[in-house]
Amino acid sequence: MPYKKTELKFNGKINTCEIGAGDAAISIGGENTLLFLGDEGFKPAVGIAITDSPEDWSDCFTDIFGDDLKNPAAWAKAAVEKSGADFLLVKLASADPNGANNSVENCVATVVAVEGAINVPLVVEGCKNAEKDAKLLEEVAKALEGKNVVLFSAVEDNYKTIGAAGGMAYGQKVSAESSVDINLAKQLNILLTQLGVKSKDIIMDVGSAAVGYGFEYVASTMDRIRLAGLGQNDESLQMPIITNISGESWGVKEAVSTLEDAPEWGDQEARGIGMEVATAAACVVGGSNAIIVRHPESAKTIKSLIAGLIG
Amino acid sequence: MSKFMVIGERIHCISPAIRQAFADRNPDPILLRAKEQLAAGADYLDLNIGPAERGGEELMQWGVKLLQENFDNVPIALDTANMKAIEAGIQVYNRSKGKPIVNSADAGDRIEYVDLAAANDAMVIALCSKEGVPANNDERITYCSELLERGMERGMEPTDLLFDPLFIVIKGMQDQLVDVLEAIQMITDMGLLTTGGLSNVSNGAPKHIRPILDCSVLAMAMQCGFSSAIVNPCDKRLRETIVACDIIKNNILYADSVFEF
Repeated sequence: MPYKKTELKFNGKINTCEIGAGDAAISIGGENTLLFLGDEGFKPAVGIAITDSPEDWSDCFTDIFGDDLKNPAAWAKAAVEKSGADFLLVKLASADPNGANNSVENCVATVVAVEGAINVPLVVEGCKNAEKDAKLLEEVAKALEGKNVVLFSAVEDNYKTIGAAGGMAYGQKVSAESSVDINLAKQLNILLTQLGVKSKDIIMDVGSAAVGYGFEYVASTMDRIRLAGLGQNDESLQMPIITNISGESWGVKEAVSTLEDAPEWGDQEARGIGMEVATAAACVVGGSNAIIVRHPESAKTIKSLIAGLIG
Repeated sequence: MSKFMVIGERIHCISPAIRQAFADRNPDPILLRAKEQLAAGADYLDLNIGPAERGGEELMQWGVKLLQENFDNVPIALDTANMKAIEAGIQVYNRSKGKPIVNSADAGDRIEYVDLAAANDAMVIALCSKEGVPANNDERITYCSELLERGMERGMEPTDLLFDPLFIVIKGMQDQLVDVLEAIQMITDMGLLTTGGLSNVSNGAPKHIRPILDCSVLAMAMQCGFSSAIVNPCDKRLRETIVACDIIKNNILYADSVFEF
């Protein structure tokens, strides 16, 4: 019997979202099948992460980037060059009021310098304090008007400020963070849309975990979200998914334990990359349209995986 | 399961405003009702041009084009006793958002509407009746089978027939309503899709009572597998019921704001 390829047809379609401006712009999403199962070749984008506070990052990053770690703009440039990433994420960890409590002005200056140093789209991550992030990402949105950056991320407690500033006043993209909660993912999208943010300007940050640390729940969440968007044509879940797995992957014992702690596990850097690649691969197969990693080797590996799958 | 499909019933020549708009080829009242229904979540719009014995073909084409050009190729149920008008409407119909629905066939004089749907790769609403309301579920299932056979003989997919069990009016035939629910369950168990005009259930009841009856029947019918209905989507209570049932049946994902229409 000849082989007959059957393809599941869906009514729904994931929104196409453009990030970045001018020649640097890329678009994510747009697929009307589960990723890699259609023949349209929709390609997840791979981003590389940097931070303004690398103190708790693994030593291997000092070996790779040297003094650039102290200068986010120089680091950003080097990270994009070394990784070939499609976009860059800068985390403003120093803004955390429970940490360095760096001022909004200083952080905005950092972001502006980073943006000027790279020729790929930018994702700006706050410090994960809802109140501070509201002020911070609002000012970031203002300072980078026209650059079409992603504000990463709005949560239930600050979506009004971030949505109004980013999605409406200054024309940026708003990422909505739902921490592996499908109902909240839908709810935040509805709230942002009701506020007046256009669907095409919203990206979902549905959260993640490192593989081996409850990732099954992430996988089923992504599946539910994608099948609701595609199969049930649920417009409030047709936004592209962006996933930053770098913090989770480099925070688990497989990546943190030194060679002295666990000699039988081998090279620490390779373990970190391994955790990151395994997690990122699972996310892109599960539906992430944009995936963010820390290590240039992870970015290259995921890019080649995607290229290999798409053919 | 896919979510419940709402066919908006409000573009109907029984309404004086719509009848006049058809006669004058005046788009405004029709577009207004289309817009309201789509905003209220209608998936399909029913376009009922009445018997349309004269000029039906041209009128249906005008209506189909009017709705699809203004509302992003919205899918339509073409509703008239004039078969030529339905065929003419399908000729100008854009399928990008869904197949046209022929409204409607039955197992009696109107069985050729199934042929019409088959010949035009359309869906069809198939009334499980021959002459008037079926007496019992033996009749309903017999007619359902006849219609199904007719469609399949002509190459239709079984899911392109939407079987209407014929809801009956509570005032006068209350004792038979459970049969209708049972028929929906039986048809669903055969892997087939169902639809129906819900408002008949509460016909003759006071205006403030009707939504209570309509919504309750709808919820009970959905539990039996009822998969679509021809209703007024602008009825807020009905819409709430559909969404709530779709959530309970896991057809759509819950979020706190889903009832903020």
